[in-house]
Amino acid sequence: MKIEKFKDNGRYDSYMNLDEGWLDRRVFWEQSIYEREMEQIFARCWLFVAHDSQVPNPGDFLTTYMGEDGVIVCRQKDNSVKVFLNSCPHRGNKVSFADAGNTRRFVCNYHGWGFGTDGALMGMHEEYCYDAGDIDKSQWGLKQVAKVGNYKGLIFATFDEEAPSLENYLGDFRWYLDMLLDNEEGGTELIGGCIKSVIGANWKFGVENFIGDAYHAGWTHDSGARAMNNGQPFPAIDMKNSYHASVNGHGWEFGTEGMGDLVLLGRPKVLEYYNKIRPKMAERLGEMRSKIFGSVASASIFPNVSFLPGISTFRQWMPKGPTQFELRTWVIVNKNMPDDIKEEITKGVMQTFGPGGAFEMDDGENWENCTLTNRGVVTRREKLHYRSGISRRIEHPELPGIVYQGQYNDANQRNMYQRWLDLMHAESWKDVPEQYSPRLNGKETMGPKAGFKAG
Amino acid sequence: MNLELIKTIEQTLYREARLLDQERYKEWVGMLTEDIHYHMPGIETRYRRDKTEQVHDLSRMAFYNDNLEDLKKRLRRLESGTAWSEDPATRYTHMITNIEVVPTEKEDEVLVYSNFLAYRNRNEKDQDTLIGNREDIWRKTAEGYKLTKRMIILKQNVLLSKNLNVYL
Repeated sequence: MKIEKFKDNGRYDSYMNLDEGWLDRRVFWEQSIYEREMEQIFARCWLFVAHDSQVPNPGDFLTTYMGEDGVIVCRQKDNSVKVFLNSCPHRGNKVSFADAGNTRRFVCNYHGWGFGTDGALMGMHEEYCYDAGDIDKSQWGLKQVAKVGNYKGLIFATFDEEAPSLENYLGDFRWYLDMLLDNEEGGTELIGGCIKSVIGANWKFGVENFIGDAYHAGWTHDSGARAMNNGQPFPAIDMKNSYHASVNGHGWEFGTEGMGDLVLLGRPKVLEYYNKIRPKMAERLGEMRSKIFGSVASASIFPNVSFLPGISTFRQWMPKGPTQFELRTWVIVNKNMPDDIKEEITKGVMQTFGPGGAFEMDDGENWENCTLTNRGVVTRREKLHYRSGISRRIEHPELPGIVYQGQYNDANQRNMYQRWLDLMHAESWKDVPEQYSPRLNGKETMGPKAGFKAG
Repeated sequence: MNLELIKTIEQTLYREARLLDQERYKEWVGMLTEDIHYHMPGIETRYRRDKTEQVHDLSRMAFYNDNLEDLKKRLRRLESGTAWSEDPATRYTHMITNIEVVPTEKEDEVLVYSNFLAYRNRNEKDQDTLIGNREDIWRKTAEGYKLTKRMIILKQNVLLSKNLNVYL
């Protein structure tokens, strides 16, 4: 048997073949690949950092991570949002230890360097220790990200000046995102607080699970489905009228039956509520999107945000080395919903997709073992199978993106890893190839005709 | 506070812990009143000056914010026989300490403070330890004292575990 030693030369073509449909397990294991992901993906892509509703007032801030870089997200007096490193430029200490709060300044505990809510250096303790010419304060503020953007309440940031606009980064995926973010007048908000937990798995397992893995649901979550829906198994999948759609590495898998995820939430009042607003939703988003919303569905925004439209869990997978991630869980609701519906949804999410949730409990253990079996040097060199539904690509008149028929499919996962591969190899954003030519460039994403194929 | 009552409450708490260790959830549910509120808030790290109500505001994120029906629903997962991550079984030990029994305005209810250490171990070497405080209301009934309210304060900011397949 030929023993092939792992050598990381920055080229990963031999570690996956997405036309054949397989991945080498070392992409989930090797430290050097992980470090390259931090440089090539997390230091360049647009990353979700906050929802508008988490920082509503000037001085409101929260701390989070972009890759493994700790950042502060802070609302400014002019209502804009700034994002800067949570690390003092003097010796590197953190300048905030809170998850969230409201402040007038960030002060380092070490030498008392103080920064405004915009990250600018204002002054320091015993300032007389610096002689004229020692420090130009305007040059020593907290390091700002390159760009901050907002799509319908979701705030994103990127460290890369050359990154495409957020609009182009999301591209036609906005057509799908509108189902989550704009299905009712007033938009969305996150419920207060955040639940954080640690899973000993590679971050990509979480993202790929939500991007397209409807397939695991009926088996992994048989017990959860029965718990939440009066002993009934996971709803049957209609392979003809369900799809995978992928854009720029983002992906949404979905049915068109309108109620699967809403039933699995286990809160009949919430299903009732959505059925009541569905005709209005159809006016806002068109018939097709009003039928997709609430169906068995899951989605991820590349690289590390996922959600379940209908079940209303919204989450981010924070990489912490190749074999661990921190999972942050929120609940996303429509701002104009009555309080009792928001409460029902919040309880429902924590009973399904919190750490104690009937569904989530069976996921973590799978992903941990998918990762940790690769400790074995022989196991690690084996391929993983990603070929399901490889010949089911279709062109759909109403659905933008790279579309595959049948919700049980590895298509979105393959497209996500294609994007991963393209970014890992690209010297700059100019080298990242387009997977698909967008329908919505410069066009309105809302309304019944949005997203239709031209002509 | 009479010693006999304190002893009775202590024994009730130990019995509850033993039922949870042995996954005897039907009997555990039998120790809860119909109007149980079982709450474990998710608590963010915030500065001392920050007065955000993180414990008692029930509209915020919580690991548990359950009534009896909600708890039964969670437990139904284990009855399905397909809760794969519970088979082989997780091994549990609940240690309950620092029990204080305090009278309330209601004659049939006592306020009970306690601390817990819950240890879990499963498969080869998965393990974790959850430590925190509890604030309970126990109500006297014909079938002995029953739990009617529990507030659990876990001392971790990031839950250092992949799940919470455990009641505290």
